[in-house]
Amino acid sequence: MSNTVQLFVTCIIDTFYPEIGKAVVQVLNRVGKTVEFPTGQTCCGQPAFNAGLRDQARPIAMHTIKIFEKTRGEIVIPSGSCASMIRHHYQELFENDPDWQKRAKTFADRVYELSEYLVDHLGMTDLGARFPHKITYHSSCHLLRELGVDRQPRALLEQVREAEFIELPYTTDCCGFGGVFSVEHPEISAAMLERKITNIDATGASYVVTCDAGCMTNINGGLHRLGKPQRALHIAEVLASR
Amino acid sequence: MTSPFHQKIRLALSNPTLQSALDNNAERRNTARRTVYQSLPTDLQTMRRRAHALREEVIEHLDQYLSEFIRNAQSNGWIVHRADTAQQAVAIVLEIIKSHKAQRVAKSKSMVSEEIELNPALEKAGIEVIETDLGEYIVQLRNEHPAHIITPAVHLTRQQVGELFHEKFGLPPTDDVPTMTATARSVLREVFLSADVGLSGVNFGVAENGMICIVTNEGNGRMVTTLPPVHIALMGVERLVPTLEHLALMLYLLPRSATGQKLTVYTSLIRGPSQDGDGCRERHLVLVDNGRLALRRTSLKEALYCIRCGACFNACPIFREIGGHSYVGTNGKHTPYGGPIGSVLSAGLFGYAEFGHLARASSLCGACREACPVDIDLPKLLLRVRAGQIQSGTKTQSHHPNAPWFLKIGLRLFSMIASSDRLFSLAQRTMGLAARFLLPKNDWMPLPSFTGWGYSKDFPKPAAKPFRNVWHELEATAVETAIPSVSPEDHRESPSPPSHPTNLMEWFAQELQALGGEFISCTSSEVGKKLLEFLQQHQINQLQVWHKHYLPAGLTEFLEQNGIKTTPQANPQLKAGLTGMECAIAESGTLVLPSDRERPLTASLLPEIHLAILRKDDILPRLPEALRRQETFKSPVTVLISGPSRTADIEMTLTIGVHGPKRVVVFCLD
Repeated sequence: MSNTVQLFVTCIIDTFYPEIGKAVVQVLNRVGKTVEFPTGQTCCGQPAFNAGLRDQARPIAMHTIKIFEKTRGEIVIPSGSCASMIRHHYQELFENDPDWQKRAKTFADRVYELSEYLVDHLGMTDLGARFPHKITYHSSCHLLRELGVDRQPRALLEQVREAEFIELPYTTDCCGFGGVFSVEHPEISAAMLERKITNIDATGASYVVTCDAGCMTNINGGLHRLGKPQRALHIAEVLASR
Repeated sequence: MTSPFHQKIRLALSNPTLQSALDNNAERRNTARRTVYQSLPTDLQTMRRRAHALREEVIEHLDQYLSEFIRNAQSNGWIVHRADTAQQAVAIVLEIIKSHKAQRVAKSKSMVSEEIELNPALEKAGIEVIETDLGEYIVQLRNEHPAHIITPAVHLTRQQVGELFHEKFGLPPTDDVPTMTATARSVLREVFLSADVGLSGVNFGVAENGMICIVTNEGNGRMVTTLPPVHIALMGVERLVPTLEHLALMLYLLPRSATGQKLTVYTSLIRGPSQDGDGCRERHLVLVDNGRLALRRTSLKEALYCIRCGACFNACPIFREIGGHSYVGTNGKHTPYGGPIGSVLSAGLFGYAEFGHLARASSLCGACREACPVDIDLPKLLLRVRAGQIQSGTKTQSHHPNAPWFLKIGLRLFSMIASSDRLFSLAQRTMGLAARFLLPKNDWMPLPSFTGWGYSKDFPKPAAKPFRNVWHELEATAVETAIPSVSPEDHRESPSPPSHPTNLMEWFAQELQALGGEFISCTSSEVGKKLLEFLQQHQINQLQVWHKHYLPAGLTEFLEQNGIKTTPQANPQLKAGLTGMECAIAESGTLVLPSDRERPLTASLLPEIHLAILRKDDILPRLPEALRRQETFKSPVTVLISGPSRTADIEMTLTIGVHGPKRVVVFCLD
């Protein structure tokens, strides 16, 4: 197992949340990994793919593949949704191009979602984190249903010192983000988010932990609009805290 | 300009009655489904994969299975018709009805009939058509479309139904569900008895023996396929299974996924018309294509695997917000198929331009795929619809992606930027600077409502320095901490198979009683006395009975000697019917009843009380074993009965005794 790992930080974290990116690096350092950040990286192409605009998604996916082909070793992505895009949807995106399909497969085989990487690949759950707050966990849809990752983040959170974990009712219900969906169908998205926030309220937790910055942005956007005190956090922020 | 779809969405979201009805539906159905899956003989995922492979096989070789099915159905006496289009299907049905000079059609649930818009066509031709499924009846009285493929009146509260019944039947205003159900029972009983033609849907056709399978709970499906002299069954061409063995697999999944039942109360297996006078004498099967065979050649083919259980509707967070009536075309036309699968089917069968936009109302959360008993990859299909990828392999009917214009422009720009790291970096910094210039003090940007995002949430401010620009400041090397690596534990729980009594009789009794059936164990010498006691207790002195060959020796004579009149004739006035059975199924508390002149179907259908004699040795553990008994399927109709008739069509409130018996009492000979 190489000591170096590539980070695909995702466009959302890169653009909006550099502090989460830093937390991811800290977490990976702490488990003994040296992190490399291929600077040419941008986005996996999911927004265009989900919008049905495959011709627009393809150049972005090709760009991403090319950037990471220049590197070696495992690639860690702090997002279940982007990891799933690469693992499951790139094959369909390049269905008429066997050459790119093959390159996409080679790329996808190196890709791990962060919690999956820590728990399944490295066999680590206790990262020595301390987070003296009430927390709950929102199961992000693509992480849960497309990657089948659920026990991993829970196992990681279980080891966080001084954190009081409260289960979120209906944790597997979508928060209403869905990428372009939240812009195309704002009313439905709002109703779904309202349910999520009601459930968050019911836990009495101060922080909702997720493995996806998309869900986090959606939930925080709603919490902030309503003037609620709770905040959604990316799991890396909790794991990096001491 | 707001589209009809958006208008419907707003209407649904602002209707608190509808919202609570939809919540109620989702809660109950999802919980019931998850609970009942635990009673499967094999684990759910294995069965889903098998079911998927089976549906795939059928759709791949549909022509072959279809001709086998048609051949066998015809040799059983079915009159088979094929309709390529909805218009043809309507014309065929009208023709049959007219050839019998029929005036009144009693109809049980059929989504194909909704699809081909049969009712308005029949009414236009001056034919009275009456829906007899309670939920369908309610929506018909309200002049509405069904709001859910399984629970048509899901959108209504008991108060609304009470008002409707008050208005239509002069029933004193009530919100008591049993009272309303009893009203429907008596109104519709007259319809069943007087209808010239019975019209039904079909859940499955079995290719190997030309039999159709219809699952119902209320008993109306049995009524319309038994009482009127002519029966017309409407079936989508794709709804086939190769063999009875495969039917068993589907019957393990369909009721569980649809209503959380191990089996529906009635599973009717109709081989063909009656030859000897019991039951319906003329049966027509109308096989409807209406775009299915063409859809089979497109990338949406998997949508044809659907068995119409409605589980994806119940699991879908979007359906839960907007309900079935919101799924409309660009011109406001309703589609019978809403929810996740309907968003694919409507685009695939009824037109991309008109219905393609429905697939965009999904957060792609995958709850539908998880709920689907035949493991259809619904998010994948929804994405293909969005991409306009529904062209066939041979014909190039390619469509353009149906993203709204602002996304097309925005994402074209985004694609250009995100395919170049320099442009991407530049865009990030520009956004960061612009946000700081416009909103120097805020961490959040309150976007206006029209942006979509701003409708209900604030937007985070882009970082002044994106991660790529702070990356170099980090000490990116491994810290030499010795956090011990442990081998990953597998926390996945392997569900232990649910326990059930090993004694078959106890197991059967337990399941039957759980359904509200009654179980009386006795010896063959006591059965006459026990039965007589029961009849006297209920002041019953007349019974419709099966022929004495099919009952314990001397039983009929004993009853006659003790003042109980027995008759083989159906008579709606009789309070009780006495039958034997071919066998029983322990796992679901099911009675298997064949039928012929000596074993009339009506004895287990018309009376309020169904008394059935079971020999202990005839109890089989599971469904496939019962379906394997060839003896079972020699008669024109075989009915699997699991408890008293029931409905949950009003506010999901379980009510016992709709059209079929209110009580099922099994006397088991030990």
